[in-house]
Amino acid sequence: MIRPITLPLSLLALASVLAMVISVGVGSVAITPMEILSVFLGDGADLQRTLVLELRLPRTLSAFATGGLLAVAGALMQVLLRNPLADPYVLGLSGGAAVGALLAMLAGLGGVIVSGSAFAGAMLATLMVFGLAHGTGSWTPSRLLLTGVVVAAGWGAVITLMLAISPARELPGMLYWLMGDVSYARSPWPGLGLLLIVCFIVAPLGRSLNVLARGPMQAAALGISVRPLEWLIYILASLLTATAVTMAGSIGFVGLVIPHMLRMVLGNDQRLILPACALAGGTLLVLADSLARIVIAPEQLPVGVITALLGVPTFLYLLYRSR
Amino acid sequence: MVKLKGYIVMLGWVLLSAPASASSVCATDDLGDEVCLARPAERIAALSPGATELVWAAGAGDQVVAVVAYSDYPPAAKEVTSVGSHTRMDMERLLQLQPDLVIGWVTGNPTEQLATLKELGIPVFSIEPRSFEAVSHTIERLSVLAGTEAEGFAEAERFRQGIAGLRAQFAESKPVPVFYQVWDEPLMTVNNDHLIGEMIQLCAGDNVFGHLERLVPRISTEAVVAANPEAILAGGMGEENRHWLTRWRNFPGLTAAARDNLFFIPPSLVQRPTPRMLEGTRLFCDKLEVARARRP
Repeated sequence: MIRPITLPLSLLALASVLAMVISVGVGSVAITPMEILSVFLGDGADLQRTLVLELRLPRTLSAFATGGLLAVAGALMQVLLRNPLADPYVLGLSGGAAVGALLAMLAGLGGVIVSGSAFAGAMLATLMVFGLAHGTGSWTPSRLLLTGVVVAAGWGAVITLMLAISPARELPGMLYWLMGDVSYARSPWPGLGLLLIVCFIVAPLGRSLNVLARGPMQAAALGISVRPLEWLIYILASLLTATAVTMAGSIGFVGLVIPHMLRMVLGNDQRLILPACALAGGTLLVLADSLARIVIAPEQLPVGVITALLGVPTFLYLLYRSR
Repeated sequence: MVKLKGYIVMLGWVLLSAPASASSVCATDDLGDEVCLARPAERIAALSPGATELVWAAGAGDQVVAVVAYSDYPPAAKEVTSVGSHTRMDMERLLQLQPDLVIGWVTGNPTEQLATLKELGIPVFSIEPRSFEAVSHTIERLSVLAGTEAEGFAEAERFRQGIAGLRAQFAESKPVPVFYQVWDEPLMTVNNDHLIGEMIQLCAGDNVFGHLERLVPRISTEAVVAANPEAILAGGMGEENRHWLTRWRNFPGLTAAARDNLFFIPPSLVQRPTPRMLEGTRLFCDKLEVARARRP
């Protein structure tokens, strides 16, 4: 029972490490592998130390954390709603975060306040969707999904309105934020910490999640207290999304595609899928961000463009191959 | 013993601080932060096309080691290494150039990237001139930081005097109702608080949308027809693209179209807060004089 889980996870962990090595190794300034090694051994020229330790390493870790958070959030949402389309972005969480961030930018605030405002927006969106989906009747996954989609459309309209009436000089910053960009990430540690904590929280829940994925009736029949579990999943997923969006703006696609890809290859065992999502999501974003930095350097691309360009063909290929 | 120790401390203090304070330079940026350099900057990174022009105006063009995309004036700026666009800089290349002063753009550069530069110990001087006087004041402050006061203060004064001269010349002129077209699709103009709005007012132009709340309002074609300006001034994409003006010929009822008061103004002369605005303002004033001459 141990081996089938260990092997894929080890391979993914290896891939993550490789991706990080590549990400730290490449950039618009050429630094040889030997020079990078000497920097990590506490040596090396001042400029190289700054580039590697102050720019590349934090950015690589931020990208990894953001990708991992989004992929795990997507996987949790798909279990919760038993719907392949579920992802934090479809449910309006990122829309709420974006409105929060743009409001702060419109008020002429920057940095930490934009991040805090984005976090508040995502949490507000969560409460709204969850509260409204409860309504007066019973709470069903399809009702939650529909509520989320409609609320997301509402956020979308608010974003368009804000872009239309905002001063022209604020527009570029807002548009780039909406596209998502890891260069805005300041510190990777909150994201990495949360990713680790959540992996520890969901690890013992794997068996329950597997049952829940088959439907709440079966889960209840098998002695799982469905409602608290669903609440926990939803809150965790929101927290993950809010943190990811706060770190790097709204990067779509990772949360939707990574869990599906892994399920096609590894099967639908949540004990395996959730940690695998953390590793694969992180790897994808680290690679995408490396490309975003160097493809048309010195101009920098938004990382969201690259995740989609890398992920779409891979996903379609896997979908085509699967039965 | 105590006295001797005090003496040594004092001596050390004098030795350490004297050479620095003798040549150190300070200026307050548009965020209200005081930026002090131990010696005038020798390697300047200008993170907006406007900042590049202003550093050159301050007489410190030779000290510029990094610019961003679209830094096309003066022509020598095109030869300087670019570090990406003003909305997302290539931080590695910027650091590799080892600037000792970065000129930031308050609302144009990502605050996160400017904060990173400050954390790495690179002085960041953030600017955003929003008036004629601010252009002169910015040139003066930049020349202080670059140690080129003689050139910088002379250029700032030339601009100040030029604007004052135009202001005096047109103070008594009859107002001309004007529509200034910043963008075509969607149709956009400026209000009186915008620098371009100030330029129009200085030439005794009466901006028909000057009273609007937003700095760069988006308006409808109907609103322009209803306001019936006597002259229409347009920028346009590129320096010789006049097709934005042709749409107005479809409205012969418009006074501006009937009298052929449809004027092209090269956008680079008016849309960047730099000394070239003097030339742009002069052009504005000339065009409005043409419109006055065409009055029946």
